[in-house]
Amino acid sequence: MQPIIEVTDLTYMYRSGSGKNVLALNGVTMQVYRGEILAITGQNGSGKSTLARHFNALLTPKSGTVIVDGLSVADKKNTAIIRRSVGMVFQNPDNQLVSSVVEEDIAFGPENLGLPQAEIVDRVDWALESLNLGAYRHRSPNSLSEGQKQLVAIAGVLAMKPQCIILDEPTAHLDPKGRCEVLENVLRLNRDEGITTILLTHFMNEVVHCDRMIVMDQGQIKMTGTPRDLFKLADQIKALGLDLPPASQLAHGLKLKGLALPGNILTLEELVNSLCQLP
Amino acid sequence: MPITVKDLCFSYQKGTPFEKKVLHNISLTIDDGEFVGIIGPTQSGKTTLAQHFNALLMPHGGSVTVNGYLTSDPQADLVDLRLKVGYVFQNPDYQLFAQTVGEDIAFGPQNQKLNKEEIKERVAAVMAQVGLDYDTFNQRDIYALSGGQKRRAAIAGVLACKPEILILDDVTAGLDPRGREEIMTVIRDLHQKQKITIIFISNSMDEAAELAERVIVIDQGRIFLDGAVREIFKQSAQLRSIGLEIPEVISVIEMLQKRGCVLPTIPLNLAEAIDCIATAYREREENR
Amino acid sequence: MELTKNITLGVYLPGKSFIHRLDPRTKIIASGIIISLLLIIRSYPAYGVVFLFVAAAVLIAGIPAGYAFSGFKPMLPVLIFMWIFQLFLYSSSDAKTLFSWWIFSATDAGFHMGALVTLRVIFLFGVTTLLTLTTSMVSLTDGLESLLSPLKAIGLPTQELVMTMVIALRFVLILAEELDKIIKAQMARGVAFDRGNFIQKTKKIFPVFLPLFISAFKRAEELIIAMEARSYTGGRHRTKMKTLHLGRVDLEAGLIMIAFTALIIYLILITVPPI
Repeated sequence: MQPIIEVTDLTYMYRSGSGKNVLALNGVTMQVYRGEILAITGQNGSGKSTLARHFNALLTPKSGTVIVDGLSVADKKNTAIIRRSVGMVFQNPDNQLVSSVVEEDIAFGPENLGLPQAEIVDRVDWALESLNLGAYRHRSPNSLSEGQKQLVAIAGVLAMKPQCIILDEPTAHLDPKGRCEVLENVLRLNRDEGITTILLTHFMNEVVHCDRMIVMDQGQIKMTGTPRDLFKLADQIKALGLDLPPASQLAHGLKLKGLALPGNILTLEELVNSLCQLP
Repeated sequence: MPITVKDLCFSYQKGTPFEKKVLHNISLTIDDGEFVGIIGPTQSGKTTLAQHFNALLMPHGGSVTVNGYLTSDPQADLVDLRLKVGYVFQNPDYQLFAQTVGEDIAFGPQNQKLNKEEIKERVAAVMAQVGLDYDTFNQRDIYALSGGQKRRAAIAGVLACKPEILILDDVTAGLDPRGREEIMTVIRDLHQKQKITIIFISNSMDEAAELAERVIVIDQGRIFLDGAVREIFKQSAQLRSIGLEIPEVISVIEMLQKRGCVLPTIPLNLAEAIDCIATAYREREENR
Repeated sequence: MELTKNITLGVYLPGKSFIHRLDPRTKIIASGIIISLLLIIRSYPAYGVVFLFVAAAVLIAGIPAGYAFSGFKPMLPVLIFMWIFQLFLYSSSDAKTLFSWWIFSATDAGFHMGALVTLRVIFLFGVTTLLTLTTSMVSLTDGLESLLSPLKAIGLPTQELVMTMVIALRFVLILAEELDKIIKAQMARGVAFDRGNFIQKTKKIFPVFLPLFISAFKRAEELIIAMEARSYTGGRHRTKMKTLHLGRVDLEAGLIMIAFTALIIYLILITVPPI
């Protein structure tokens, strides 16, 4: 598979409030492949946001390289093109929505791209429809639920027709229902529109649905692989301050109690099936 | 300090074109030493209800009585009431304002005009209760704290007012798994060791199941269910009908029961679920 | 405790009335005209006409009168203070003294000056509130942007200015809600905002405003990053999804405004100001 983003030996340092230099990224090398959905997980402060902000040139490398679709992030001339192809959705929808009308907010990105009026209208219609937000187009984001607000934020990025969308803990402040809504839509966009998706999260229930996962700790990548392969390594995952998905946790506990279950259970359905097949 | 709520009604933006009724005739009693989880979908009225318990909001209809005093009584000492019923908000940044952790926690006792020695003692005591080491954290800059530490500092700041009832409003939102575990442990300890009455507001069913003894489910400003935690989670179909998620440990038992495994109990946490399933399988093997 | 309840400025009440349907530019220009007139009006009959005009507009727009007035409540102490200030401090050569107290004396000139200044502020506030209650922020800024666009020629960053305003206004409500929570969080720690002397009361502001400022800065920072991530680089290359059109209602409103302005100017000319 062709990588859309290639990171080589990326290091990033910043000065903290108390004047100390903090190494936020320490020699990170990784790829994001076209069309995949990649989870980046790790404790707060592990460096996942800092890494992701290099993907659309919000940050530029202090050392090492980040290549997006063949263009280096370090070169200022590429910034506009990179931001067009890699969109980003943030944690708190209240702090990223610009306008007090849903459709106007979704138009903000395309307007920034200087597209002709008719094209903007088409894209806004399409983004609203893709995320089933048509009913809310004239409403104020303040009158929507947190989950719906986050969908508006996603629609705003979608309307820029990016090749890749980064979602930086998009569900951290949502209730379980909102979390479900957002996750379902993200998965569907990846499947139907073929948009490469990078999901930063510490909800393992969400990671389970991703093609690949990366676990970060203290500015470094500690694990890379499919969720099924990595969640087998329960002790390592826990040592990095993360949980297993509930089904894997249960399976792990039951195995310790002597039940002969397979090691790579990810979902409750798989767990129940395996339990029922026990002799 | 028992809380009695009778026919409580409340509307937001009362008297404006945006008026919206959020609480409809709520009646309930919370006794000393209880650990009550208030759960419900977002905007169901959980927070609005809880803010009546310490007179941050006043009823538009009905009454709220705390420890025998009506909150709406003009003679009631509301400042004193608010100290006895502590309220911790979801976002610790709304509360923390001082430079260092110690100064911020001392803010409540200072409002109570305690002397320096007493304040220092109290700060040290509550820091211990939330698991923040005094020597390490007393002088620590608030902005250098992790998410979990910040919330613990915020809880300590409210504990320093010596509340008899502690209301925790969605205090685990946005934390990573480790931070969440830290807070859950602190809350469990406060109830078990300090014997503080705790009202735990959350939209996470897992946490309510793990912590609370009694659960009140609120939906659209009305009490939907109220009872012992196990009784509530037995009614999973009803909980799902108002858009709540059932904890995975309970779902798995239900799924197994549908497939013909008979499991006697409703587990409330991971350890119980593992025990419950493992025991059932062991018995099945022995019966064979 | 509900802070947001008394804020009417910046709130939009959706509707389909004559006033709601006007082009934002028409409403902005009309408000501008009324405000300019207010600055030169010095007689009570003229204020009477302005009152009737604004009251009619409130009725036509379908805004509940009680709600329209509730916005004045928080301003009341300031208005009274302003009036008293003028009452004692303004004087002219032929003023009659009404009464004296200590070193101050109240004159009839002061009385009228106070009344006029207070009325001016009330109507300024009323007209702006009416504008924002009937015009969504988005069309308001679209209108402003279009009206200011000639200034781009002299190098004024009009689009950026307007964008700043849209955002500032969007955050008024969010920050008011936040302030409400912060006040409650500190009340829960025993702060009695209504007790103590002036200095003690002033000290109580810190635990409220520090968190508010920090949160506002944090939000601003996140918003800037989010806007940048959506390719915002200032106004230069931007296009717009919507363009504004003047319609029949705007023509009608224009005629009404001309008649109103003429009437006010006539009144200003024929009436003798009280001072």
